[in-house]
Amino acid sequence: MNLVAVGLAVATAAGVVTAVLAVVVPSRFHAAVSGIGTALVGAAGAAAGAAAVLGQPFALSLPWVLPLFGVSLEADPLGGLFVAVAGGAAATAGVYGIRPARRDSGVRATSVVMPLFAFSLLLVPVASGVGSFLALWELMALTSLVLVLTGRRRAEAVEAGRWYAVMTHLGLVAIMIGLMILVAHAGGDSFAALRAAAGSVPPAIAGTVFVLAVLGFGSKSGILPLHAWMSRAYSAAPGHAAVLMSAAMANLGVYGIVRVGFDFLDGARSDTARWWWIGALLLGAASAVYGILQAAMSSDLLRLLSFSSTENMGLILAGVGAAGLFASSGSGALAGLALVAALLHTLNHSAFKALLFQAAGSTVEATGSRDLDELGGLRPRMPGTTAAFGWGALAASALPPGTAFVSEWLLIQALIHGLGASGVASSVVLPVAVGAVALTAGLSVATFVKAFGVGFLARPRSDAASQATEAPATALVAMGLTGAACAILAVLPSLVLPGLGRVAGSLTGAAGTTVDGAVTLELSGVAGSLSPLVVGVGLLVAVVLAAGAVRALAVRRARRAARLWDCGAGPLTPRMEYTATSFAEPLQRVFDNVVAPETGVDVTHPEESNYLVELVEYRRTVPDRIERRLYRPVLALVSAWGSVGRRLASGSIHQYLAYGFFVLIGLLVALAVTR
Amino acid sequence: MSEALYVQLLDLAGGALLLTAVVILWRRKLTAIVRVFAVQGFALSLLVAVLAAHENDPTLGGIAVGLLVLRAGVLPWLLRRALAAAGEEQHETRPLVNVAASLLAAAVLVLIAYAVSQPLVELFPSAASTAIPVGMAVVLIGFFALVTRRHALSQLVGFLLMDNGITAVGFLATTGVAFVVELGISLDVLMAVLVLYVLASRMREAFGTTDLDDLRELHD
Repeated sequence: MNLVAVGLAVATAAGVVTAVLAVVVPSRFHAAVSGIGTALVGAAGAAAGAAAVLGQPFALSLPWVLPLFGVSLEADPLGGLFVAVAGGAAATAGVYGIRPARRDSGVRATSVVMPLFAFSLLLVPVASGVGSFLALWELMALTSLVLVLTGRRRAEAVEAGRWYAVMTHLGLVAIMIGLMILVAHAGGDSFAALRAAAGSVPPAIAGTVFVLAVLGFGSKSGILPLHAWMSRAYSAAPGHAAVLMSAAMANLGVYGIVRVGFDFLDGARSDTARWWWIGALLLGAASAVYGILQAAMSSDLLRLLSFSSTENMGLILAGVGAAGLFASSGSGALAGLALVAALLHTLNHSAFKALLFQAAGSTVEATGSRDLDELGGLRPRMPGTTAAFGWGALAASALPPGTAFVSEWLLIQALIHGLGASGVASSVVLPVAVGAVALTAGLSVATFVKAFGVGFLARPRSDAASQATEAPATALVAMGLTGAACAILAVLPSLVLPGLGRVAGSLTGAAGTTVDGAVTLELSGVAGSLSPLVVGVGLLVAVVLAAGAVRALAVRRARRAARLWDCGAGPLTPRMEYTATSFAEPLQRVFDNVVAPETGVDVTHPEESNYLVELVEYRRTVPDRIERRLYRPVLALVSAWGSVGRRLASGSIHQYLAYGFFVLIGLLVALAVTR
Repeated sequence: MSEALYVQLLDLAGGALLLTAVVILWRRKLTAIVRVFAVQGFALSLLVAVLAAHENDPTLGGIAVGLLVLRAGVLPWLLRRALAAAGEEQHETRPLVNVAASLLAAAVLVLIAYAVSQPLVELFPSAASTAIPVGMAVVLIGFFALVTRRHALSQLVGFLLMDNGITAVGFLATTGVAFVVELGISLDVLMAVLVLYVLASRMREAFGTTDLDDLRELHD
């Protein structure tokens, strides 16, 4: 029995049936129906993807589905990996989206589109023709756009939807041009034809295609400079849709870059490909640093998580770029290691970002605010959600025993060992990349300490936070499942590494496994080993011992209850707590030139004297600098062009008709004269 | 039918087509315009009937009858009904370009039409194809009427003139458009006229006039 075919068939059937059911069921149940269906779609997809990674072949051609090119699907290990990740994300997002009937179910359109979105995410990586791929890609973009537009806060959703619609279609245009150039060169629409012609693509064309692919696919992953839609869309979309978008859709950008770079352009074997890979590596490193800096400065919980996605996608792109660089300079083992690191980080990012968005979504739902400075004190009120966010924050911050630690360690190993392995350009680029990855890791710790500490611990900073209630049981179950996945990836990455090694080997041509060992990971080809399980257990033991020792020592002395020292200024209020802004202040000072914050201080004096102060107002915003520099001029140009165009549209029908008439006459005369 | 008679009849029909188009530009009274339009419909069907007789094609003859019913019968009748509903004061058109200038423009448009249809005529010189410029001229004059006439009804006539011209070019260039195609086009025209008719009466209800420049107020 072919598990891939069965899984995809079940996912298709479940997706379509759920969408129809969500239209017809009473409005109390549509979220529950949609959640169960989406979870089914996801589970079936995860099974199909896992089977494809393990090497089960699957191919299907349905020429009658779409006119001209039909739909053709084929599963290979690379596609299977992304199907599996998308399936897992959809499964937890589905469970998370189930709402008990007595709760507010949200907008029905969300429930209808959600299973379709999950389904399109599963099919994009198995498309095996350019036409099918672009059609499915567009289906994914459109369904996610609808999800963004169904967000709770109308104005914000519309604004985000506009950004997202424009940018996703610009991305689609870039991808389409790139793939069409390849199709024209290969003379066939199927991926097999592209692969067969890969060796003979002229370097100039290959370079153009690669740049277009990085731009188009990169925008889907939030890679600079086309990241501006991401924080808007993730913040505006309903909680479970944001989970799926961040944990599954962003990955497909990586899939596209790997597919085009390694598969269609044969970037692993051609020597001219080196500059692209260096470019991708630098772009990834820049995205990582810029993303985490923006996240560190942000006091909006969802914006922080979105920029953290830019960071992680940047790291993944850096890994992919390094893999291509090593492969094109002939060091197969290093290439395999870098690609495994990138793919493992994709997997890890999906897991911890799903967990973080689930916890953040529940928090926002319970408190109605995503401003970290209005949260706090949620630990006694929402213990489950707080634990989930805490575990997610640890997983995201590249510290043992966190999930991201293993993959970032592998990435650093690959970059460091690559120093001696290839030419001059890479000996300049790689140290910079190592520095960027290390800086990113440090900043991400600060970012997530801030998000967790300010957002969940201490005392509530607003009434809404003090009245928060715990998320529904289904959301807690979803967080539990995702958290368990994070834990498994953190301590036993050896469960997935053989599969990833197979995928990487098929792309880079590296023979054998790149990372060995069940408990201790042994890198083959370079010296290095790590045992996440032992590190994790060791840390746990150390923490328990330390806590036990403190407790044991502390109880020796007699205790005395007293008021906390407050400098005699009266009782301490929540306003005196560390805020997200103040926590980020030192970092902001260090990176002042990069992030260019805008600070404003207004001091109001009473009328009697200028020496007394009545009110001090302090404002600080950290605008997205790239957005300002790059997007503003373009937008200004477009709107200027639009207002010039409006002058043509006076409202007179005769004038409009006259435009047509004179253009026609002009063309005819030109025809008569030039003939 | 002898060849000489065929050429003479063809030229007569073509001449009538062009003349009626120019007369539509010249006349100001809407009732007269509708009457001239009906004459043009007759000229068009005559043109097609002459072609049918020359080709001995009964289908083409059928199309000629259909054209006669539609363009000389149904469409003028619809236009007349719209006019009657419009009331007395609507009977004069106030063109954006005055009549004398319109006639001069028509002359220029006919010249342009002759100049641009030369390649078409040279492809296959025959009695029918030498009349193509006439159809082209009618298209351009119709477009000109569409642009310069204020009244919704005279604009409608301009639109129908264009369609008459297109039909004439079609038949002259191919000697025989497929029946289905012609049927489809004619139905389209009928539908367009019906829609515009309804639109014009709605406009009159809303604004008390069918002067299209009043729509400018809807511009934001």
